[in-house]
Amino acid sequence: MPAGRTTRAALRTLPLALTFAVAAWPFVLWLVHRVDAEAAVRTEQTVVAALKTGAWLLGGLLLVGLAVPLARAFLRLHGSRIWLSLSQDMAPLLRAQSELRHFESGARHFEVGRLARLRRRDDLALVHLQRAVELEAGAASHWHWLGLAQFDHGDWTAAAESFRRAEALDPGHAFGGALLLRGRALHLLGAPEALALLAEHGRRHGGSPKSHVWLAEAYTRAGDAAAARTALGIAAAPPRTKLSAEENWFRAIARMRTFGRGGPR
Amino acid sequence: MKDVLRSADEIPVTLVTALAYGTLAVMTKPFGPPDEFAEQLHRLGHLTPNLVLTGEAWRLLAHAFLHVGPVHLLLNLASLAAFGPALERSLGSVRFLGLYLVGALGGGLLVCCSYDPRQPVVGGSGALFGLMGAAMAMNMRSGRHVLAFLDFEGPRRLVVSILVNLLFGVVYPMVSNTAHVGGLVAGFLVTFLWLRPGEPSAVQTRWRLASLALAAGAACGTFAPVTRSDWLQRELLATPDPVRRTDLLRALERSLDPRRASFPAEPEQRGR
Repeated sequence: MPAGRTTRAALRTLPLALTFAVAAWPFVLWLVHRVDAEAAVRTEQTVVAALKTGAWLLGGLLLVGLAVPLARAFLRLHGSRIWLSLSQDMAPLLRAQSELRHFESGARHFEVGRLARLRRRDDLALVHLQRAVELEAGAASHWHWLGLAQFDHGDWTAAAESFRRAEALDPGHAFGGALLLRGRALHLLGAPEALALLAEHGRRHGGSPKSHVWLAEAYTRAGDAAAARTALGIAAAPPRTKLSAEENWFRAIARMRTFGRGGPR
Repeated sequence: MKDVLRSADEIPVTLVTALAYGTLAVMTKPFGPPDEFAEQLHRLGHLTPNLVLTGEAWRLLAHAFLHVGPVHLLLNLASLAAFGPALERSLGSVRFLGLYLVGALGGGLLVCCSYDPRQPVVGGSGALFGLMGAAMAMNMRSGRHVLAFLDFEGPRRLVVSILVNLLFGVVYPMVSNTAHVGGLVAGFLVTFLWLRPGEPSAVQTRWRLASLALAAGAACGTFAPVTRSDWLQRELLATPDPVRRTDLLRALERSLDPRRASFPAEPEQRGR
């Protein structure tokens, strides 16, 4: 399981775990009190003091962090993700699932899989997208979205193959997204051809902060520090239009990595 | 049973609550001598955490019908008139009454868990915050997603109203924001998790369990506040065992003054 997925799963259970922890606190104190009354008072005072200090530290860190682009981008990225998760309309997914019960087709499985992935229902998305490519293997978008679901799942070998199929059926599919993600998946697998694919993506589609950061990582692994610096410089350049939260995050990463190094040469 | 509930649903609970506010306000004699007024509030049920410990748990609900003066009474009557009728029509009188009492209980329990044990609290605002929490939960539940209600002017005003009232509680120290938060959370959780049709999903079931655990934790904190000085004093007086008494005395000392180190054991203990 990739780190992002583990973190997401942990973050999803965090509110519930915190609620149970708060609910259990008086019982814990009562149990400690049965053994040692003074220890219960001491425990409570220590925990309350630690929580107060932690809250002040967190507030201070947040204020200081706002001066750092990476922290600002992190807050924007995760704020937009939380907002998205709270404001997702589940009706289209439920409708697509009910339509699928009446008549099965690749397009309908694809629709369920696509909507499920957009709503972070990764396991459901994977099942339906796999069925979609089984029924309609000639659609590039089916392969591309299957690749995205496999990429989210951390199955980079399968994702690279799915993106290859999408790219073969429709060169330049998803504005080069299939090519870029195939390059990234191969990079994560440690394959040397990743660099060529990412560089080709940059040549053919111009790229974005995300693609340039990934290209820089591929150059770094290949030992070409100058090219990596150039790619990071391009990623860190001021944008002409407002970036999405994700692209802004990658630009912030590039800015941090080029900080104090004079940018592209 | 259904017939009884159906006929109980005919009772205008909002109106009855408003009448109870008024009647109790007259009974407390707010324009009389202050000592007599305080005595009346005590007799009719102001909430004081240490009195709840002595077996007067009825105060957890009774305090939500008492007020400290005409301004307090009018503000809460205005809130009740604003939220009560619509919620009562929507939920039914029995559920509405249940919700009011849950809000009062939520506010009362949180006050008992976190307040000075001798500080009295009165007012229906905790229960009224419970109604506001319920209204917000109903809005969140009825949209296509939990934030869809923010597209509409009325529910947006409800959120602003809750925030302004909480801010009011922060600015004015005589206002018990603890009771407000307790009532708000209780009303919201009960409506969002329990008052909904259909079988609960697995996630809802987990959250229902969490809400029950929270209520049990608050009840434990209210009736067995093991780190509070008044509880420790009561236990100290009731304990004959000298070793346990020393332990409780140390705990009491630390509870009254956290910065002070534990005092040495009593002389007769030290020799053993």
